[in-house]
Amino acid sequence: MAKEFWRWKEYNWKSETIDWKDGNTVSCGIDVGSVSSQAVILVDGELYAYSSMRTGSDSPMSATNAMNWALEDTGMTQDNVHYVVGTGYGRVNVPFANKTITEIACHARGANLMYGNTVRTILDMGGQDCKAIRCDEKGKVTNFLMNDKCAAGTGRGMEVFADLLSIPIEDVGELSFQVDEEPPPVSSTCVVFAKTEATGLLREGWPKNKVIAAYCSAMSHRVVTLLQRIGVESDFVITGGIGKNVGIVRRLSQELGFETLKTNYDSQIAGALGAALFGRALAEKARN
Amino acid sequence: MIDKFVQWEKNRHQYAKDWKARTGGKVMGYFCTYVPEEILYAADILPVRILGSHEPHDVTEAHIFGMYCPFSRDCLAQGLKGRYDYLDGIMIAQSCLHIRQAYTSWTKHIPVDFEYYLPMPNNVQSPHATPYLTEEITQFRKALEKWIGRELTDENIQNGIDIMNENRALMHELYTYKKNDNPPVSGADTMEIAISQQMVDKREHTQALKELLAELSGGKSYSKNSGTRLMVLGSENDDIAFIKMVESVNGTVVADDHCIGTRYFWNNVKPNENLVESIATRYIERPACPSKDWIDRTRIPHILSMAKEFDVKGAIVIQQKFCDPHELDIPAITKALQANDIKTLFLEFDVTVPIGQFKIRVEAFLEMLQEDDLF
Repeated sequence: MAKEFWRWKEYNWKSETIDWKDGNTVSCGIDVGSVSSQAVILVDGELYAYSSMRTGSDSPMSATNAMNWALEDTGMTQDNVHYVVGTGYGRVNVPFANKTITEIACHARGANLMYGNTVRTILDMGGQDCKAIRCDEKGKVTNFLMNDKCAAGTGRGMEVFADLLSIPIEDVGELSFQVDEEPPPVSSTCVVFAKTEATGLLREGWPKNKVIAAYCSAMSHRVVTLLQRIGVESDFVITGGIGKNVGIVRRLSQELGFETLKTNYDSQIAGALGAALFGRALAEKARN
Repeated sequence: MIDKFVQWEKNRHQYAKDWKARTGGKVMGYFCTYVPEEILYAADILPVRILGSHEPHDVTEAHIFGMYCPFSRDCLAQGLKGRYDYLDGIMIAQSCLHIRQAYTSWTKHIPVDFEYYLPMPNNVQSPHATPYLTEEITQFRKALEKWIGRELTDENIQNGIDIMNENRALMHELYTYKKNDNPPVSGADTMEIAISQQMVDKREHTQALKELLAELSGGKSYSKNSGTRLMVLGSENDDIAFIKMVESVNGTVVADDHCIGTRYFWNNVKPNENLVESIATRYIERPACPSKDWIDRTRIPHILSMAKEFDVKGAIVIQQKFCDPHELDIPAITKALQANDIKTLFLEFDVTVPIGQFKIRVEAFLEMLQEDDLF
């Protein structure tokens, strides 16, 4: 079987310093996205464990798998979790969720914790859509825009290009800067057309790093227009899987004229983290 | 009682065919709510508004530009598919080029006994608008008289006015119930009533409305929905599935500014000695379609006043794709609503609404308006 370069690494993590048995409220956020699923477990609002894996064709199973993987080696079971919030495209398919909240609200809430309460604009670059979100100092959404009718500018588009060019998805960003000069962007309106255009460029003799640079550039242009429609106010952050791709992040920063904030958290768990924070608030609300 | 309106809306073509068989009368298809139905009722003709069916297009490409609005193409598709084969006549009052193209293509390809283009003025704010429309309605009256072979007396015209006025007044009464904290009729059911209003004999519709209002005044409620109060405004919208989706995620549509809905019935004819002039005045002064809402944007104070009256918390602003008049107004309307603490969500409509994509937007919008205690 041919190597699939788009396959990003799945992972899980747990805190070595927190003992969940000491906590009052254990909350969980499950983000079942179109491409990836994350489960985040908080103990009294502190990040305790998480997992990130690819979403399968069965959303309830993806949610369960993500949850089980986050719980691995913790000694905790689902029964110990006080409140579960489902988010993402598959949010209604999280069988054990107490409530569902959109990923738009969850990314804003998660980014508020991950990057601090100065965040005002969030770009969530997900698997099959892209959301520009404005929020207040509490992480509550004040406005948002989503890409329409087209998957260009999304994680799935990047995966298609990684496969086409045989570049491991994690290497795409750095490789896209290994060019003498920035090439003109490829078509930015359709992943399929962009792929056709890229195939033509390869035939013309373009090296693959130049082609991937042209696609990163196109993707940046596309999401910049989305951001400009809603108005970008600093501090600005990028969440979702594409937030890890420096080929996009740096180009976007350049086009917008300011840097994105950095964080020690994994940008891909923003949605699930926000959901878990809502879960904590809901658990405490129910208790009072 | 609501079921009666739903059945009318769902079986609109069968209703018109049955009406025709029952009364022996003529049926007139019309394209825009600026058509003075008072004159048609005066002539014992049933006006039936041409609406789309929200199915993917497969017949209009050869007849209408792709960049004309989905609504105009969907309307034409119904004619080309023969779904309005019972019509005796077809007419339009000038509103926008897109729907006019649907009308002209219809007249070219689908033969009927009578066709009429009524040049409704676009500059309704001009002092010449009412005298101009009065004369145009007079010409229309004459054309209709020639077609039906009899004179329309002032008594007939007054009868037409009375039929329309009574029905519009009852719709107003229905909307007063939507000001309640827990409106007894949902937004989706209201849309069923509003659509059926444009195709069922007003006298029957009026009778059904009276029965419904009697139930409501007795405390009956058809809705358990007491979600966030929303207003829907913008281009033509008869997409019941969309409203149902909004209300399934805890929104409640309590008010609207659409030509299916309040813009259709908001004001009545105030008869004077010149009945035709009084009808013309009603259409000149009604809440304007954006194609006619200039030089001043009169819709903005109207929408704001309605939002206040119905205690609206958020507004969903709809634009039929490529609908330039609405698109031009949206920034100004959005700005005015937001300045009055009413948040807005913009959605672009096509023939088929992408419910999944819209659902997340609507849910996120409602979350913006709710749940402050979670932060």
